[in-house]
Formats: sequence, C-alpha cells, structure tokens
Amino acid sequence: MAVTRRQHRWWRGPGAVLAALLVGAALGAGPAGAAAFRIAVGIDPDTMDPVQTTTTTVGNLVDYTVETLTTIDEAGRILPLLAEGWTVSADGRQYTFRLRPGVRFHDGSPFDAKAVKWNFDRLIDPAVRVPIRAAYPIEKTDVVDPLTVRVTLKHPYAAFLGALSSTTSGLLSPASAAAPGNDYKNYVHIVGTGPYTLTERRKGESLVFARYLAYWGRPTSYESVVVRIVPEAATRESLLLAGQVDLIILPPLADVPALQRNPSLKVLLAPSDRTIFVAINTRKPFLSDRRVRQALNYAVDKAAIVKNVLFGAADPMDAPMASTLFGYCRTGAYAHDPTRAKTLLAQAGIKPGTRLQLLHPTGRYVQDKEAAQAIAGYLREVGLVVELQTMDWPSYVATISTPAERNTTQLHFLGWAPPFLDASQQALQFLSTYAPPGGLATSFYANPEVDRLILAAEQELSPDRRRSLYCEASKQVWEDAPWVFLWVQRFPIVYSAKVTDVGSLPNEKFAAVHARPAR
Amino acid sequence: MTTLRRYLAERLAGAVVTLLGVSVIVFLMVRVLPGDPARVIAGVLASEEEVGRLRSQLELDRPLPVQYGSFLLRLARGNLGVSARTSEPVTRELLGRLPRTVELAVVSSAIATAIGIAAGVAAAACPYSIFDYLLSMATLSGVSMPVYWLGLVLIIVFAIDLNWLPAAGAEEPASIVLPALTLGAFSMALIARMTRSSVLEVLGQDYVRTARAKGLAERAVLWRHALGNALVPIITAVGLQFGALLGGAVLTESVFGWPGLGLLLIDSIFARDYPVVQGIVLTFSALFTLTNLLVDLLYAYVDPRIHYG
Repeated sequence: MAVTRRQHRWWRGPGAVLAALLVGAALGAGPAGAAAFRIAVGIDPDTMDPVQTTTTTVGNLVDYTVETLTTIDEAGRILPLLAEGWTVSADGRQYTFRLRPGVRFHDGSPFDAKAVKWNFDRLIDPAVRVPIRAAYPIEKTDVVDPLTVRVTLKHPYAAFLGALSSTTSGLLSPASAAAPGNDYKNYVHIVGTGPYTLTERRKGESLVFARYLAYWGRPTSYESVVVRIVPEAATRESLLLAGQVDLIILPPLADVPALQRNPSLKVLLAPSDRTIFVAINTRKPFLSDRRVRQALNYAVDKAAIVKNVLFGAADPMDAPMASTLFGYCRTGAYAHDPTRAKTLLAQAGIKPGTRLQLLHPTGRYVQDKEAAQAIAGYLREVGLVVELQTMDWPSYVATISTPAERNTTQLHFLGWAPPFLDASQQALQFLSTYAPPGGLATSFYANPEVDRLILAAEQELSPDRRRSLYCEASKQVWEDAPWVFLWVQRFPIVYSAKVTDVGSLPNEKFAAVHARPAR
Repeated sequence: MTTLRRYLAERLAGAVVTLLGVSVIVFLMVRVLPGDPARVIAGVLASEEEVGRLRSQLELDRPLPVQYGSFLLRLARGNLGVSARTSEPVTRELLGRLPRTVELAVVSSAIATAIGIAAGVAAAACPYSIFDYLLSMATLSGVSMPVYWLGLVLIIVFAIDLNWLPAAGAEEPASIVLPALTLGAFSMALIARMTRSSVLEVLGQDYVRTARAKGLAERAVLWRHALGNALVPIITAVGLQFGALLGGAVLTESVFGWPGLGLLLIDSIFARDYPVVQGIVLTFSALFTLTNLLVDLLYAYVDPRIHYG
C-alpha cells in the first residue's frame, strides 16, 4: 500500500517536534563569553573543606580559593606563599613563620597569626575529620606577634614544609565558620585568600569561581572560572572538541595521539608523582624469595607496555619512587630479560607451570585492566601460569589491606601518589610498621635496615643527608624488589590552543590559575 | 468512604509495605557487599585511627538490626541520615538532584510519547507500506541501541560536528535535548510499536467500519475512535516506561554528566555511601510505585468500562 499525501501528515508531527527542539536548542547553544575559563573534570568534589580532601583533583579546585603557607613550583621545589619566610630550630621541632602582610580573606577579615593558629588547631583536632592528619605531627601552634607564628612538632619532621604545601593545610577564614551552611567541623562555603572566590556550587554539575579583585598576588586574566563535572572521559573530550570547554584532564588515553595531532589543541603529558606497580606479597611461599621477585621484574617489558598500552603516557620506573619527589635518586632498571628471569626462577626452584594470582582493579588507574593482561602475558612467557582477577575498588582495598595472617593475595596491581612531594610519603610503602593493619604497605615487605634508613631520614634535618639516606634505602628496596616496578604515570591535560600559560604541577594538578587567551 | 477512596487507601497502604520491603532489601544489599566503607571514604592514605573514628561516626560498628532500627526511626521522621562522603543531610543531597532527574524523565517521556504515539498511529494507518517498514526498522534500532553508544553518536553529530547543542552538563536549556533523546529512544520505539499494534487491532473492529461508512474523516476515525479505544495498553506502556526512565537515567546521566540522582547513585555506590544509596533507591521505588498507581487511576478516566471496587 502506497503512502498517500494525507497519510504523510501523521509523521510530520514528530519530525516537526524534533526539528523545533534542535533548532530551538541550537539558538541557545554555543560557547560562553571569553571572560570565563571553562574546565571539565571527572570528579564531583566530595568536600571543599581543605582538611577533609583526599583527592588531588578536588584539591586542585580548592586551591583556586584557599592558599597555604608554602607552595611548589612546576619542578616540585618548595616556595613561600602565605608565609614570606621561615626559620627552623636546631632540634627540628620548631618552625617559625613570618606571614605575608596586608593579606585579607575574601570576607574582609585579616590573614594573621591568629588565623593560622586557628587553622592548625583545627587540623589536629580529633573532632574534625582529617584523613591525612598523620602528615601533620603538630603539638601546638603559638602566636608570637600578629605576623609571626611558631609551630612546635611532636618530633623532628623534615618533610613538614612539604606537608604545608598540600591543600589539606589550606588556610580558611576563621570568621567564616559562622557563615550559613558552615560549621567548625565541616566547611561547605570556603573562604580563603586565593585569586578566586567560590561563588556558586551546583552539586554534580558545576562550580563557579569569580575573580577576587583585591587579591594580594599576581592578577589573573579570566573574570571567572567555571568547572564542569563530567564523569565520562569521552564526553569531556567531546566538550573540548566542540569548543564548549577550554581545558580537560584525563581524556581517553587511546585518543591522546589523535589529540596531539589536532592543531586546535595542546596536550600536556605532565610528569606526576604516581607510581604504578605490582605489589608482591613477600610473606607468601616462594614470593618471599628475592630471586623470584627479581625474576618477575626482569620478565615484564615495561617499556613495551608504556608504548603500546599507555600510549606513551608514562615513564618506566628507575627507582622505587617518582623523580619528582625530594629524596629520589636513580637506582637502576630491571631491563626486559626473560632469559635471566627464567634462570632466577630455576635457581629458586620454581618449576614451569607454577600458578600465580594477579589481582587488579578495573578503571581505577589508567588502562589498569589492559596493563594487567599484558603483565600476565609476559609472566606466562617465563613459564608462570597467571590467573587474573578483578573486583570493585572498595572490595579491592579490603582484600589487599587484610592483615598478613589472613591475606590471600599473591600479586596485586596498585598505584601510589604521595600527598606531597617528599620521599617520606613514598617510603611508607617500604616501612614494615606501615603494613596492614597499621597502614597500606600491602607487600608486607620488612627489612630492618630499610626501616632504620627511612626513620633516620624522617628526622634528619640536613637536606643532603636526608637525600642520601633515602637514596641508600631506595637502592636496598630496588634490590629486594617487593614490587614489580612498573612506571610513573604521566597526567594528561588537554587544552584549547586559544589559551596559553597553562602548566602542570608534578602532583597531578593543572596549573591554570594564570591562564590567558592566546594572542 | 467512596469506592475510589477505599481503593486509593488500599493501594497507598500497599505502597508503604512495598517500600518497607525495599528498605530491608537495600539495607541488607549494600551491607553484604565486601569492602570497608570507612576505609573507602577516608581514602587509602588515612590512618587506622581516622578510619576507626569514621566507622564509629557512621555507626558501622553497631549490630545490623540496631543500624536498621535507627534508620527506620529516622526515616519515620523524614530524616534519611547524613551522607558519609559529604557530611551533608541525605535529604538535602537528594532534593538537590531529584528535580534534574524528574525533569529529564518528564521531557524524555513527553518526547517519547508524542513521537511514539504519532508514529505508531501513522504506521497503523498505512500498514505494510514503505513508511511502516521504515518505522519498524527505526523502532527495532531504538530498542536495540545501547544508551551509551547512542549518546556518544548524538554528541559527535550534534555537539562536535554541527555544534548545535551542548555536549554535556545542564547549564543551558538546550542541554536537556541530547540526554532526553538518548533516554527516550527506547521508550519511543516501544510506545510506537505498542501503538501500531493496538491501533491496528482496533481499526479492524466493526464500529470503525461503521464510522468510515457514515463518512467520518479519516483523521477523526484514527484519532478519536481508533486511538481512543486503543489507549489502555498504550497508557500502560507509557506509565511503565516513565518508571523505567527514572531508573534508566543512571547511564544517560553518566554519559552526559547530567547532575541527577543517577549520577549521584553511581558515585555513592562506588564510595560505599550507604545512607545516600538507600535514600536514592527508596526514592526511585516510591516514584515507581506512585507512577503505577497513577496509571491504574488513569485507566478509569480513559475507559469508562473500568471501575474500581
């Protein structure tokens, strides 16, 4: 039966509705004004309260509004920010900070020693939730004069200045605790001294920051910064390609080569502090043998996985920590050498066909599942039969952090990013007392000499001697191989070529506060 | 009490029992999942002491029946507890997101219903024509296409290539178009197929032949007589689909970064934020139950032969 003219009318209706929707929508679409710098991230902040932050991206956003006493530059060096300078007592327990004069919080209240004391007292107050409190062994804080504050530590702690650069120690206006929605234990509306004020937050949707005109530091270019929450990596990429945002982090990794070829975009594969490794349960039969652990390291071709699975967005590890940390020294490399791996396995009495279980998360780290499959393939080449197993992240953490006597894991894929750029935070992974349940050193590695070196370095005040202690510990750890040392991740940031002055910090943060339109 | 009122009271009492059952299932389900929520919320860098403190704050160190009892008591007062992740009241978290999800479900439902019914009636008016076959193909695609894939295709075409529409978010009025089309595609196809078969069946009835014989315009025959009498199964499909749209929004919201309950549900499940997961599932269940009730009541309105009592 032919479709008659009259019958055609029936489907004109829906077509018209659709067309009207699209045209009407198109009229309202298009990029916002150049006055706003638009960013898309994948995470909706669980908190904006600096002391409660645990995620780097959330810290990155809080940093627009809240500042710290110290900061780091692109090379990871510690620099003054709200502190103009400092002195450290001979015993390493007292830090006296000279504060920057003339700084005010966004609510007009003065930034002074009293405000610093209030914030540091809150940081150590057990009534306030502070997940990374262990990085701040503060005993007390004293106001010396309005612009001088003295912090006394429970014990010497050379990494303290580094810890103070972390968002966790961001300084809020004490007066703003009484602002609507805020209370001492939980800040929702943060008021700091930074270049932007947080003016609007729509949960799961966006955050809007407005330029703070009375900012004490270098003026910023954009009147506002709009951060959109877009969990899907492919959708973030689409927003950038459509010109609807100016900067995104973590695009789909497989698309990085294409993004690099796109002349309207710039791609930064920023160095980071996140090491990716396979933790070896050193308490398990035959994995307690160092030769076996070294064999696993020789068996895996890290460079090939970086090139083919991670599309170049990583660097094979050459030490048990990232080169961006204070205390790093190059310790060597386990080159891909299957013959040597087989020899070591034979020396340790491991027969071909020996079974191993490799646990890995899916979607927690960049290309984690694909990398685990590649690793399993390399281990099979040296005669091991590897069974891959995955689970969701909460179950994963519970499984790998089960105390040694009940822990059933053999190998597990993991990433570790220190909260600030100091070897002390990475060295925790090799400290025997940080093994579960005391911490998350999930390889249960224990070497009394390494423990001694790490603890000595933590309290050592001379930077050179500290570096040397960490270097010595690193060499021993590398030799003992409690991990299959894989790679240090790079942090992909992609932004429009219409924007310039975008950089990165080596702790997986983008540095775009001073971004400006390219000429 | 009138018959309708009694029917309503019975149905509402039934809904409360259903929701109680749902609350038990959800309460137990989230707790039998492995993984320590306190550790997940505090982060891998938190000390055991901090994790222990959080566990106690969340009452996770208390026996399950005590936790459930305390949950029910709070629920009776309209208090769904406090989010473990954000330390904010769950009710506030939910109310902040619910309008977005309802907005998306209503718009996609409206699009799906309008286009689905119109296309279904048109196909029934000219069965086995080219248009009918094309529609069959389109509806088959609609019910078969994965939401994730369809969403990305729409983004590539309308946001990147044509630059007509926002690719994601909910900042502009136009932002709803792509997620609504994506979410509504399945329902649209289903409603079109249901309408086509339902109307086609009615068109074969004697009274339709009589209507045509007395010279009624084809439009009146189709819309007033055929569609009017074919509405009951269509309303059932639309009603059920509306409930499904609320739940189906989870994936669409994720693809388009649409800040509704679905996105919050995903975040909360991964973060083991029990209070929020419970709150969202209860809300979805309540909306689903309410929609079913409304559909049942609508039957009597569109078809006078149906009575309750």
